[in-house]
Parts: sequence; structure tokens; C-alpha cells
Amino acid sequence: MFKLFSSLRKEFLLLINDKTGLALMFLMPLLLVFIITIIQDSAYKMVNENQIPLLVVNHDKGGEGHKLVKALKSSSLFKIDSQDQIPQQSLRSELLARGKMIALFIPEKFSAGLESNAGDVSNILMDDLGLEYDSIGKEKVDMPRLSFYHDPVLQDNYSQSVMGIVQSYMSMIENSLMIDRMYANMDLGDKSEVLKKKMILNRVKIDQIVASNNNSTALPNSTQHNVPAWTIFAMFFMVVSLGSNIVKERVNGSFLRLKTMPTTFMLVMFSKMAIYVIVAVFQVALTFSMGIWILPKLGLPTLSVPDNFLALIAVVFVSSMAAVSYALMIGAFSKTEQQANGFGAISIIIFGAIGGILVPTFVMPGFMQYASNFSPLHWCLEGFYVLFLKGGSWKELGLVFSFLGIFILICQLATYFKLRLERII
Amino acid sequence: MMESGGRVCIEIQHVSKKYKGAQESSLSDVSLNILTGDVFGLLGPNGAGKTTLISILCGIVPATSGDISFYVDGQSLSESQRKSRIGFVPQEYAFYQELSPRQNLDYFGAMYNIPKTKLEERREYLLQVLGLAKAADNKVETFSGGMKRRVNLAIGIIHEPAILFLDEPTVGVDVQSRNAIIRYLQSVNETGTTIIYTSHHMSEAEEFCKNIALIDHGKVIAKGEIQALKTEHHVASLQSLFINLTGDAYRD
Repeated sequence: MFKLFSSLRKEFLLLINDKTGLALMFLMPLLLVFIITIIQDSAYKMVNENQIPLLVVNHDKGGEGHKLVKALKSSSLFKIDSQDQIPQQSLRSELLARGKMIALFIPEKFSAGLESNAGDVSNILMDDLGLEYDSIGKEKVDMPRLSFYHDPVLQDNYSQSVMGIVQSYMSMIENSLMIDRMYANMDLGDKSEVLKKKMILNRVKIDQIVASNNNSTALPNSTQHNVPAWTIFAMFFMVVSLGSNIVKERVNGSFLRLKTMPTTFMLVMFSKMAIYVIVAVFQVALTFSMGIWILPKLGLPTLSVPDNFLALIAVVFVSSMAAVSYALMIGAFSKTEQQANGFGAISIIIFGAIGGILVPTFVMPGFMQYASNFSPLHWCLEGFYVLFLKGGSWKELGLVFSFLGIFILICQLATYFKLRLERII
Repeated sequence: MMESGGRVCIEIQHVSKKYKGAQESSLSDVSLNILTGDVFGLLGPNGAGKTTLISILCGIVPATSGDISFYVDGQSLSESQRKSRIGFVPQEYAFYQELSPRQNLDYFGAMYNIPKTKLEERREYLLQVLGLAKAADNKVETFSGGMKRRVNLAIGIIHEPAILFLDEPTVGVDVQSRNAIIRYLQSVNETGTTIIYTSHHMSEAEEFCKNIALIDHGKVIAKGEIQALKTEHHVASLQSLFINLTGDAYRD
């Protein structure tokens, strides 16, 4: 027991003497969570909180343009900025100057065009039914065109979604106009309301259900993504501290000296792993505390802690073991501390980028989403997502644990064989 | 196990070592008997095979062939007993320079299974006699070469080994530190510890060792008591004997 205690103590002393390593493991994730959460918060809000900033320029002389703007406003999907005085030719530059992503231009003859089209449709129907109608004095106006402007950085599917919403409101307006016109032609006057209500408002409703295993209402927001993401990143960054620690002991002969002593190398490795797993637990505690108590004070979303606490412990443990095992392997294969630090750090940044730490995998192209499966950081993050956003069950975590288990095994075996090759074990 | 002049401590029989991929053997059919209480010098030019032999004796690398037996108080030692009874002071500073001498001794002492109280006593004693007491809580990385050598030595003898292997324990240190180390090692030897020592300092070896083995190209080319070897080869010093037997060409 004294031997184990001494071994753990030695690892702890080495750790607290490594000021750079400590800063990278504890200060870096706090700063990254803080900075990136603030940066990404508006983007997440834009996607999740249904408030798309939309610049609307309505030049319509009739009432249909106003109806469209009113419908868009009442949808709560858009944050409307009405600037009717802007001429269409300067809308492009105004959009960029005002920092808006999208703009909608309603032309002068918008209402007239819609009414004309509704009249045409109604006349066709009256003709087909063989009914008489008053067609004198109606000016023929072409079908109007709305203009949709968007920032070039905006993804095409996002623009398509917004245009789809506008199209949906346009259908309602056009249908309403057609019904009005047909009823007017048939001299039925204001009796059209019942039909309009039935046709337009009684449309099929879609219930939106979050596919979660519990009743969690947690949504992906900047905090829910960044806190676990950068915690995992920092966990794996222990490669700088632990990796160089291993190289140093290998190169300076400490490991060989231990081989001449009545002790097992397993004790040395166990102590290292134990201390760094504890470090990872502290990293989680620190960044999660920030997500729960500090970020909300800055107006950012609060971190929702998962209900399944035991599963959370398991995810933290398996993730930290993956990080420790990777650091051991890098330490075993590197010839110098510089090599361990350089390769270790760069590989973690690459794994982080592939694995969805920097940007979520769902916004990546297909082949990158496939490539993310080869990043241990992706699976660690997936574990936290299962817990945080999907109310994680053990069954769902099975795949995460399987992949990380294989990764841990590969790293540990590689470390073992390399140290054995060097006759350290 | 008895031999003329005393009890055998280490019996090396026909030991050979060829590293994987190497063209030549590092050791070829080496046979030696090292007596209990001896200060035995393993001498030879660079690449002669001294460190390989010490590494084999300490259990760091296995011999390709041959047998090695250890005896303490007339009893043959098993593998686990051997690890408890030998001390090893490598040429490198094989310890944690980020830690203090006190912390290093605590750690390595615990690895030798020394009980806590005894370890503390022994630690303080060694810090005192090796002149490290004043800097006992400073990080070793701030020490001079001589102080680091003394820390390296202290770790190797923290458990009062019956057999002590020293691989160039005084390399790169000043005369004062070298004298202090040699004086202390002599006092350790006087308590009955068998010392096996390698060095390139022939005058130091002549002063310190009782018996030597001269190794070159992996083979023992001379062995025995220093004075007897000098007489046999008609030379006045160990250095002359060394040059006579190994030549004066550069060695890699």
C-alpha cells in the first residue's frame, strides 16, 4: 500500500511541477469554453431559437404585401426589420452594410399582380361552370416576383428553408385571394370566409417530437456543445504533459532503473493512469461548473446536466481513459519530448477538427462525417451528446463505449509492445 | 560457493550477448567470479561490453547464453531476491529532476519496499553523508553535475544493497565530488557491500578496486588482482596495463 501511495505521490508531484501542462489542461478549456461559447451563441440562436433576422423592403401599393409581412411577423420565425424606403437597386449593399443575412423585396405591383392572377383563375372556373361574370375594367397585371437576397456565406439549404417558409405564406395569401374573387364573381360576397377558414386554416398540423429517451427538453445550443467539446479537447491535450513525462522517464533511464527494482511496471503505469484520470475528472468538474454557474451570468445558455448521473460518470471515465491511453502511446513512440509535444498537440487538433469539436459534425460534408468516426474525440463527444441531448440510455452508449474500448485497447497494446521492444517492460 | 581468497558473490559462466540485428556479439563467452566484499572493476575501452555486462547482471537485458548466479551470505538468490539485494547506479541521471532529492529518495526507497520509518531515517542519513542535506528540498534540475551524481548514487544505495553496480559513477564531476563519492563508496564497501564498478579513470580504478577484469571486443582479456596483473605484465600502472592490452587506437 505504501508503495502504491508513493507511486501515486510521485506522479502527483511530477504533475504539479509541470506548470505548462497544468495550464494547458485547466486554463485552456476554461478559456476555450468561454470564448467559443460566446462566439457560437448567436449562430446557435439563429438556428434554434427561430428568430431569423430578415430585412423586409415592401414597395407594394396594395394590401397583400402588408399581409405577407404581417404573416411573417406573426410566425415568430423571423426578426423583421422593415425598411420600406430602401430602393431595390441598393438593397444588396444595404443588406451587407446592416449585417443582415437575408432580405425580402416586395415589388410595387405585388398586390395588383396577385389580384390579377386570382381574377384569371376565377374567370377560368366561371367559364368552365358556364356562369356569367363581370370581366370589364379589370387591368391585366403580370404575376409578381419577390426578390430574396442573402449573404453569400449563408448555406444554400438554409436559404431554401427560408424561401420555403415565404412560399408557404404566399400560398395562403394567393388561395385567399382566389376564393374571394370566385365568391365575388358568383355574387356570394362575404360568404367566402367559411370556405377560406376550412381550406386555409384547417391545414394538416405537424407535431414536432424530440427523439429523446426521456422528457429532456435540452436543445443543442452553444453551451451544450462547447462545454463537453472543449472539455474532451482538454482531456486529450494531456498528451503534452503525460506524453512528455513518459518520454523523459524512458530517455533518462528512470524506467530502466525501475526494472532493476523489486517492483512491477504495472504499478508505474497504473499510477500514471490513475492520476491523469483524476485530472480529467477535475477538468470535467471545472468546465461543467462554468457551464452551470458562470455562463448563464453572461447571458449564455445554462448547461443542462443529464439525469443519468451514473452514465455521466461512465462517459467521463471512458473518455478520460481514452485520452490517457493515447497520451501513453504518444509518449512510448516519441523519441524526444519535443516530438511528443508537437505531434501530440497537432494530432489532437486534427482529431478535434474531424471529430466535431471545432464545428459540429452535422454541418460537415458527408465524407467528413464519415471520417469523424475515426476520431476518438468524436466518440467521446457523442457520449456526452447521448447523455445531454438524447437522455442517454446505456443501450445508446453501448456503441460509444465499444468504439472507445477498442481505441483504448489499441493504444494500451501499442504502448505495451513498444516498451517491451525497448526492454523497459 | 567458495573460491580461493573468499566466498563467491557473483558467478558468471560463459555469458554471451548478441543484440538483434548486430553483426558481432557484444559479449563472448565471459566467465568471471566476483568475491563477496570485493570492489571489482570492469574496465575496458568504449564499446568493449562493460555496460552490456552490467545490464545483464542487473536484469535489464537478458543474456543470449550462459548462466549467472548470485550469492549473499552463502545463499543463492532467486530472481525476486536478487532485485531486492542489488543496487544499480547507472551512468545517466536516472531519476526525476523536477523533484527534490528527498522526494526522489522517498519514491525509489518505497519501490525497494523499505518501510516508511526506516526509509525516512535512511534518507536523512544519505542526504547528510553525501552533502545534500542543505539542498534536500530543492529541485534536482537546479543542481550541479556533482550534486546530481550524488543523488544518483544515493538512490542506488537507499536500500543498503548487498551488491552494488556502479556504471561510471564519477563521470563529469569535479575532483571534490569525485573524492567524496569514492570515499563514501569505500565506506560502503567496508560494511560488506560487494561493489562492481566501471570507469574510464584508470587512476581512480587503481585506487578504488581490489580486483579487475579487462574487457575488450566483448571478451575478458585479463582478470585478477591489480598488483598481480601489473607484475605479470611488467607495468607500473593500471593505465599502462590498459594501453598494453587494448592498444592505443581510437575506439568508437
